[in-house]
Amino acid sequence: MRSSIRAAVIVALTIGVAITPFVMTDRYILRILTFVGINLIMVAGLSLLFGYAGQISLGQAAFYGLGAYTSGYLAKAGVPWLLALVGGVAVAAIGGLLIALPSLRLKGHYLAMATLGFGEIMLFFFTETESVTGGSNGLRGIPAASIGPLEFATPVAKYFLVWSVVGIVLVLAANIVRRRPGRALRAIHGSETGAQACGIDTVRVKIQVFVLSAGLGGLAGVLYAHYVGFVSPSTFTLHYSLILVTMVALGGMGSLGGAVAGTVLLTLLPYVDAIIPGLPRSTVELIQDWTNDIYGMVLILVMLFMPRGLAGWATSLVTRFGERDRAGDSVGQGGGA
Amino acid sequence: MSMLSVRGVTKRFGGVTAVDDVSFEVFEGTIHAVIGPNGAGKSTAFNVMTGFDRPDAGSVVFEGATITGMRPHRIVRLGVVRTFQNTMLFDEMTALENVLVGMHARTRVGFLGAALSLPGVHAEERLAREQAHRILRLVDMDDVHAVPAGDLPHGQRRLLEIARALATEPRIMLLDEPAAGLNNVETAQLGETLRRIRDTGVTVVIVEHDMGLVMEVSDEIVVLNEGRKIAEGPPLLIQKDPAVIEAYLGEETPDA
Repeated sequence: MRSSIRAAVIVALTIGVAITPFVMTDRYILRILTFVGINLIMVAGLSLLFGYAGQISLGQAAFYGLGAYTSGYLAKAGVPWLLALVGGVAVAAIGGLLIALPSLRLKGHYLAMATLGFGEIMLFFFTETESVTGGSNGLRGIPAASIGPLEFATPVAKYFLVWSVVGIVLVLAANIVRRRPGRALRAIHGSETGAQACGIDTVRVKIQVFVLSAGLGGLAGVLYAHYVGFVSPSTFTLHYSLILVTMVALGGMGSLGGAVAGTVLLTLLPYVDAIIPGLPRSTVELIQDWTNDIYGMVLILVMLFMPRGLAGWATSLVTRFGERDRAGDSVGQGGGA
Repeated sequence: MSMLSVRGVTKRFGGVTAVDDVSFEVFEGTIHAVIGPNGAGKSTAFNVMTGFDRPDAGSVVFEGATITGMRPHRIVRLGVVRTFQNTMLFDEMTALENVLVGMHARTRVGFLGAALSLPGVHAEERLAREQAHRILRLVDMDDVHAVPAGDLPHGQRRLLEIARALATEPRIMLLDEPAAGLNNVETAQLGETLRRIRDTGVTVVIVEHDMGLVMEVSDEIVVLNEGRKIAEGPPLLIQKDPAVIEAYLGEETPDA
């Protein structure tokens, strides 16, 4: 996609995100949009790992949980929020390192199974270590995020906190994917042997991207914990990990912009009544009752008929409208949101 | 002194000895061919020389340093690069991006530097892109720099893999059947390209079945049969070698 179009889309989205709390007084919608932001951070991490490097993870929810529990626990113990955040991200990143090491030898289905197993083990861990996590009752009374005297206690403040982090994360991730390390990730996806023959230390790069992806998962978990004020194991399930994979796949492998679009669409799906007010009650109920089935169908249909996802579709659309196709340019093609 | 020496290399797969006590020397500034019938152990020899396989015995020495057992990316960084019989391109990436990946070992920007746009990142990226375009021009492919490798015709894919290998700034290039699937015109162009590469100071080793090309461009030839070296020497001698004729050339004319 032409960089001018991309720039225009990014500017428009940024302005939209910035003015929404002022035009949208409905707190429910702000809450939904904050969750969109949290999911975007998760998906940015998964997009680097899965969308770019081609390493599937069905255990991202575990990193989300590690970040949320660590930070929640630390903050309740009186640790300042920024330190709790660093702790949450660090623990999740260490979790990523632990799963990266055995996963280096695994590919495809085997990697999927290993990461799925890791996610299930962590879920069990969250449930059973009651003294730290509160077990299935969860961890309650997590204080809101604060930096010194600045407290993010209102919905609008929380919204801006989360979306500021989203902005930073997306800029940093976009910087990575269009430069040397991003090319190394895509090379590993394309041909690991070929990547080695180009002098890429594939072991090192894979560990790096696992850790980075886990750290971003932890960051999202931290924001979630201090946003909701309560975490319990039911949030960090395989179900959530699968939805994240669906978001990346819908957006298009190897496209950050696509992943953003996929995340926004799928996160909003169950709240369609709040986003599009005029919808008939029966339609809304149908969508809400079948949300999970729709996710599953989206995944299957995208795999079958739209392997390049929304990003590939947007690219071909732009090409058709006479723009010169900058083929292979993979960043920021997500105008669909 | 030789640039690359293969010393008594043996590689077994189960009960099969793919390479059996093979030794040869590659001298700097030459084009060296490794030939032999299918299954002679040529590709296995390449794999051992570039770190993709570990030999069961013997060693490979590059400019005085033993490289056997090193991981492939380390060997690339020393200046030994290879291409593959079945091209190992990054099909979703453009021709230019493929070449840029080839420059990975010669550039430095990491995750943190790229993410934060630290000083020097832009300059390195710009220089890398300029260099990548130069390399594509060298193989006459700059006009297709924006085309995904997967959409390129076979002949250009072969050339692109050579371009990508050149981007690693090698001292020696090992090309595994670079002419496979090329037509006569493309093969002639490939011969030109190989000579041009040698003339820039890069030593070339090719595994090749196209005897016309081998006899035309090689300074030195090693012949393998059933994992063993059965002959070596300049093309004219190899063509007359009775062991070679029996093992390999007996069924085909040398310039087929």
